[in-house]
Amino acid sequence: MSNAENPISEKPQKPKFRWTQDAIYTNLSYLLMVLPGTIWLILFAYLPMPGIIMAFKNYRLQKPPADHWIQNRFIYSLIESPWVGLDNFRYLVNPVNLDNTIMFVRNTVLYNLLFMVVGLVASVALAVIIYELTNRFWAKLYHSIFFLPFFISWVVVAYVVYALANNSGIINTLLASWNMPPLEMYKEKIYWPFIFLFANLWKYTGNGSILYLAIITGIDRQLYEAAAMDGASKWQQFWNITLPQLIPTIVLLQILAVGRIFGSDFDMFYTLPAGSAMVRDVTTTIDIYVFNMLRSTSPLGYPAAAALLQSVLGFILILVTNYIVRKTRPEMALF
Amino acid sequence: MQLLAAKSRTARDMLAISPSTNFILNVLMVICVILTLAPFYIIIITSLTSEASLIKNGYQLWPEEFSINAYTYLFREGSIVITAYRNTIISTVAGTVLTLILVTLYAYPLSRPNFRFATFFTFFAFFTMLFGGGLVAYYMVMRQILQIQNTIWALFVPSAFSPFWVFVLRTYIKTNIPDELIEAARIDGANEWRILFQIVLPLSVPGLATVALFSAIGIWNNFFNVLLLIDKVELYNLQYMIYSTLNNIRFLLDNASRMQGVVNLSELPSQTFRMAMAVVTIGPIVLAYPFFQRYFVRGLTIGAIKG
Repeated sequence: MSNAENPISEKPQKPKFRWTQDAIYTNLSYLLMVLPGTIWLILFAYLPMPGIIMAFKNYRLQKPPADHWIQNRFIYSLIESPWVGLDNFRYLVNPVNLDNTIMFVRNTVLYNLLFMVVGLVASVALAVIIYELTNRFWAKLYHSIFFLPFFISWVVVAYVVYALANNSGIINTLLASWNMPPLEMYKEKIYWPFIFLFANLWKYTGNGSILYLAIITGIDRQLYEAAAMDGASKWQQFWNITLPQLIPTIVLLQILAVGRIFGSDFDMFYTLPAGSAMVRDVTTTIDIYVFNMLRSTSPLGYPAAAALLQSVLGFILILVTNYIVRKTRPEMALF
Repeated sequence: MQLLAAKSRTARDMLAISPSTNFILNVLMVICVILTLAPFYIIIITSLTSEASLIKNGYQLWPEEFSINAYTYLFREGSIVITAYRNTIISTVAGTVLTLILVTLYAYPLSRPNFRFATFFTFFAFFTMLFGGGLVAYYMVMRQILQIQNTIWALFVPSAFSPFWVFVLRTYIKTNIPDELIEAARIDGANEWRILFQIVLPLSVPGLATVALFSAIGIWNNFFNVLLLIDKVELYNLQYMIYSTLNNIRFLLDNASRMQGVVNLSELPSQTFRMAMAVVTIGPIVLAYPFFQRYFVRGLTIGAIKG
């Protein structure tokens, strides 16, 4: 388990090295091997990065003149569009839009915090319970079932939510049979945090508990035996033996989660409300806002500014979190 | 899972929870299992409800009248569903193969101590996990520079690679394949390609299976890239096809009371038909699940823990 928390820090050991013919040949083979992946990374991850300058420009699509050396419309427009400094960011916080901006930033951060906390507790609890159950067969069966939703797409989940929550859905049919008024779930905001939380737990808890379960399984049994001899209860054993062993992994996963706090599970937030405009105040996240702006006719600089803030703030957050962790518990840091 | 089997019997007896606690926890787990499986039950039972019963009684846990019309309709009518199925299968197969090629070739050199540029290429991949150009730039680059919109490539190429998979596989190779083995092969005159394909890959099957399954499921369930990059119905995959109809139904039904006479409910696109499509979409995953989950758990835990 030492270094368990650290997926990328392994440094290849380097004994005294000379570029022998053999070493050159081997390294050329290696370079050839990483080439396809490198090309993919350049095309799909690095190529969009210079596009962040759109956030500082009044981007308008223009056709390049026939004799111009750049013939790609996007690149030409990106270069030729006038710089506007921070105007696009001012648009997000001007009095007309400020409420809206606060709304989608608040949704993004609060939902993420909610999912992080509840998801962590649920995953660890599930791992511990599964491990403690005395019948192995049932424990395995339960866990296999809890893992299944991970593979189901949000679109299908949206169908399930719809079947449950629409005006003639299962919930309202049951309520009607008890002579109770229907719940207008696609029209009232109050239900959506619960729907998202429940859907999120449903989809990710089983998957989240796998790592914890593997670690608990790897803990030395003698620790527990010694504790039990000294009269420690199961509860005390959890707090003093199990949890400390899980902490490095928990910290690692939370650092990564903090870095994604301005992101969101786009598919979930986009598909579950099925386009209902009346609940948009509790279902719009930064990603959804950016996407909707992208699809609207408004200048692309606005969503680009929001997307840039999202990337940069997430990046800074992950660096800061990692820095703090490295200062206090160096062995748990991500890098 | 074989993880659990490792517990020794004697240790268990002494440390086992009391029978009453065990009973309570089992009851709790059964409740959770029911909640977990309920959504599957709901879409399956709705797809088997007769359309008339659905319109008369709404959605029910046990419908008044069953019908398999939705399924016969689904497979008789054909064209759109079969096209979407074809697109999904082609992109899943091609995407998984592409993933295996890209990820294996990237991960193996990173696992070798004698690769002089390992640090650079590790960082090159890792950085993309921390920072990105944002959705707007991505959208513009895909559409204006790479121009993969409205091609079958858009369904799988953008999701065929992930630094995370590279690190899982790299760690798997490092922890499971002894350096001595590779050194021995090298001394016997095998070149790096041969070592990779004849020694490393056969010993990395659980790691490869994990990556392949992650990729296959991701592409099968791909929604976002289709939403961004596909405008033509004939290139929709299953996920996007079932999504694009849900909104229309919801809007029409929720406003049906206000639009009496304008919309005839019985002429709406059949709801049971849509639910049947959702069932068909998850069918292969659920059927294949018992076979792959073993590999998946093993590859995932070994690859991710021992980093």
